[in-house]
Amino acid sequence: MARFLVLQLARLGDLLQTRRLLAGLFAQIEAGGGGGEVHLAVDASLAALAGRLYPHVRVHALPAHAGPGRDPAAVALAARQACGELAAMPFDKVFCLNFSPLGMAISALYPPEVQRGYRQFSGQPDKDRLLRLVFRLTRERRAAGLNLADIWAHLDDVPLPPAQVNPPAAPRGGGLGVALAGRMARRSLPPEILAPIVRTAFRASGGARLTLLGTAAQASEARALVKQLDSATASACQDLTGQTGLGELCEVVASLDRLLTPDTGAMHLAAFFGVPVTAFFLSSAWCHETGPYGIGHEVWQSVVPCAPCLESVPCDKGHVCRLPFADPALLRLLGGSAKAEPPAGLALFRTDCDGLGAVCRLERGEDPSEAGRRAFRAFAARHLAGQDAALVDGTPEAALAERFFLETDWTLPPPGRDATGEE
Amino acid sequence: MAGHGVLRILVVLPMYGGSLPVGRFCLSALRELGHVAEAFEAPEFYGAFSALKDLRVTADRLEYLENSFLQVVSQAICAKVETFEPDLVLALAQAPLSRQALKRLRRDGVKTAMWFVEDFRLFTYWEAFAPYYDAFAVIQKEPFPERLAAVGQENVLYLPMAADPAVHRPLDLSAVERRTFGAGVSFMGAGYPNRRLAFAQLLDFDLGIFGSDWDGDPALSDRVRLGGRRVTTEESVKIFNAAAVNLNLHSSINPRELVPTGDFVNPRTFELALCGAFQLVSDRTLLSELFAEDELARFSTMAELREKLAYYLNRPEERAALAKRARTRALAEHTYALRMEHLLEFVAERFPGWPVGRAGAEAALAVLPEPLRGETAALLGELSLPADVGFADLIAAVRLRQGRLTPLETSLLFLDEWKRQYGG
Repeated sequence: MARFLVLQLARLGDLLQTRRLLAGLFAQIEAGGGGGEVHLAVDASLAALAGRLYPHVRVHALPAHAGPGRDPAAVALAARQACGELAAMPFDKVFCLNFSPLGMAISALYPPEVQRGYRQFSGQPDKDRLLRLVFRLTRERRAAGLNLADIWAHLDDVPLPPAQVNPPAAPRGGGLGVALAGRMARRSLPPEILAPIVRTAFRASGGARLTLLGTAAQASEARALVKQLDSATASACQDLTGQTGLGELCEVVASLDRLLTPDTGAMHLAAFFGVPVTAFFLSSAWCHETGPYGIGHEVWQSVVPCAPCLESVPCDKGHVCRLPFADPALLRLLGGSAKAEPPAGLALFRTDCDGLGAVCRLERGEDPSEAGRRAFRAFAARHLAGQDAALVDGTPEAALAERFFLETDWTLPPPGRDATGEE
Repeated sequence: MAGHGVLRILVVLPMYGGSLPVGRFCLSALRELGHVAEAFEAPEFYGAFSALKDLRVTADRLEYLENSFLQVVSQAICAKVETFEPDLVLALAQAPLSRQALKRLRRDGVKTAMWFVEDFRLFTYWEAFAPYYDAFAVIQKEPFPERLAAVGQENVLYLPMAADPAVHRPLDLSAVERRTFGAGVSFMGAGYPNRRLAFAQLLDFDLGIFGSDWDGDPALSDRVRLGGRRVTTEESVKIFNAAAVNLNLHSSINPRELVPTGDFVNPRTFELALCGAFQLVSDRTLLSELFAEDELARFSTMAELREKLAYYLNRPEERAALAKRARTRALAEHTYALRMEHLLEFVAERFPGWPVGRAGAEAALAVLPEPLRGETAALLGELSLPADVGFADLIAAVRLRQGRLTPLETSLLFLDEWKRQYGG
């Protein structure tokens, strides 16, 4: 019997983006014919939701996040119990998905040959070659572009075909939803820019129902948005910020016709259920890395020269990436005008899947980094998916190989393998 | 040695993995051909990399240290080249030669060749280093050469795997060895996903599995022999010789593909053939040009495998006849010595003027006084060097000798140093 463990100790969005890996592991068990189990370790706050999203997975709760009731003594006890449970089971593969000492500490329970992703053995943290490559890519984010869900999925040998991960986007009958800011406020649009967008999208949707979603921390933001809306839109608006637990949030999001959102956990939740997403990506958000997974979602991506930036570095450019979202041309486009052109610095992408994973295809506007990204994906596809793509013009991809591969990639055994490999 | 005389060749072994024994076989073959071949023993450096892993530092720092140390290893290879002055540096897949070192060797006019004994579709790093070698030998045909050309490597030679007749040979096994290493249906190799699933369907046969990475599979556990440990080359030859039928199922990491379709032929095919051992091999697109249908029995599906197992297990004479023909073919066409000859001919053909003759090269025997010639001729035979070998090459070969030198060897080295000092 095959048994796999996935350590996903990050937030809601990350949990949802783990689906391709988890579903791929189940497909592997099914293909093997000998039965098997997939275990998932998450922060205790997400354990119930994880069980709901992935009903066939065995969920383990770990005290990975800080929060009420999490004092060191309680954390120690909970961790001891969870580690005892996890250590009692032999796993064929253990996937640690977060570059976090917490997950790597749990990996240390297992021998190096079963560890995948971020790993730790004999006190030495390390990461798989793919993740070493991904870290190198952060130097050139615009020219790269691998969806996080695909990076995790490719830590396994046989990832699930990407089109089988989430259902294609299709309206579910519950009207328009708007997700307020996620954890990174700079990635969201302020109410004065968001309000006209919401109004336009609401009218274009037929104007039945409008639901505002977010945590209690976003309630004031929701009120500010409603104040900026016209009376017809405001009166149709149901403000659920701070009123839904994760379970209710799932139900509401799964019923929507469309969700307007920045790069949030709610966005990934909508994609998970196949609810069409219209996302606004600005600041450090880059749709080619964390865009909604699946076929048929749309992302308005800021493509100003400084995008995507680093969240940790203060913006000294006056948040110029927000400005195109305030341009009336965007409203005309959202309203259905076929003639309007996107404002400079903004491009519309539609999500799709290729042999490697999720891909955002340019639909409107200009994207100067598209050619570079296409070459990168061809390079990555051969490296990750072993795709037999023709290298007609080898130069760009060979240059990428030369830039992104280091000698240690091919001269040292992969992490977790000893030097005596046998054929 | 056709055409190019005695060559000095530095074989850069990889630090680990399946290409390491291949590198050692190349080394033996080159020496057997009469060339002065030396190995860069990269596995000796592996301990240092393991030590880095024991430092318990951050992951980023570990990566930095590994890269830095690899540059040192590469510099060691360059230093070895400076001293040994090889005509050719032959690297096996995964050899620790950095691109910077390869650039330097090219600048210094040292020819380099890579024998890439890997599947280019799985091991994609070739894109990063292929153009830096002067010649690139591969075990796959199109589209690989076309891809190599696209990244700037035009000197591509198809060089399939092989075996070493001094190692892979028929053996007379004792009764104890037959018990230890024998099985009706035997498999020697690692527990790849496709093999695990395939062998679970063969439990009604007298199946014995040798090799590592088979743990965690209860269905197969009682068929795994020798405790599932890694077997040595010598043991594998005994296993091949002791089986009625050797299963040779090419590996795949894809569990959906029990009998993988593929092009290149694995080393085990040649090793079994040279052992005169009967094998049932999973078919490959490049197999038919290497062995005929009446030399190797093959299968393409699990049903065909079961059917042929049942058939051949009851026909020892047919097995013996096939195995004999396979051995004859392998001896004639698939030894490492033949592969090395082919590679050297290729390099000579692509680089007219190679090897550059050593200035003032003089035959060793002509240099020496008559009383030493008989003794030295015997030494040349011992070193597999031809009678007309140059003095410098003889000295290079003597320097490679391990342990204490004989009085003759010592006196030759002394003479060499004297000539260097006084220009005699």
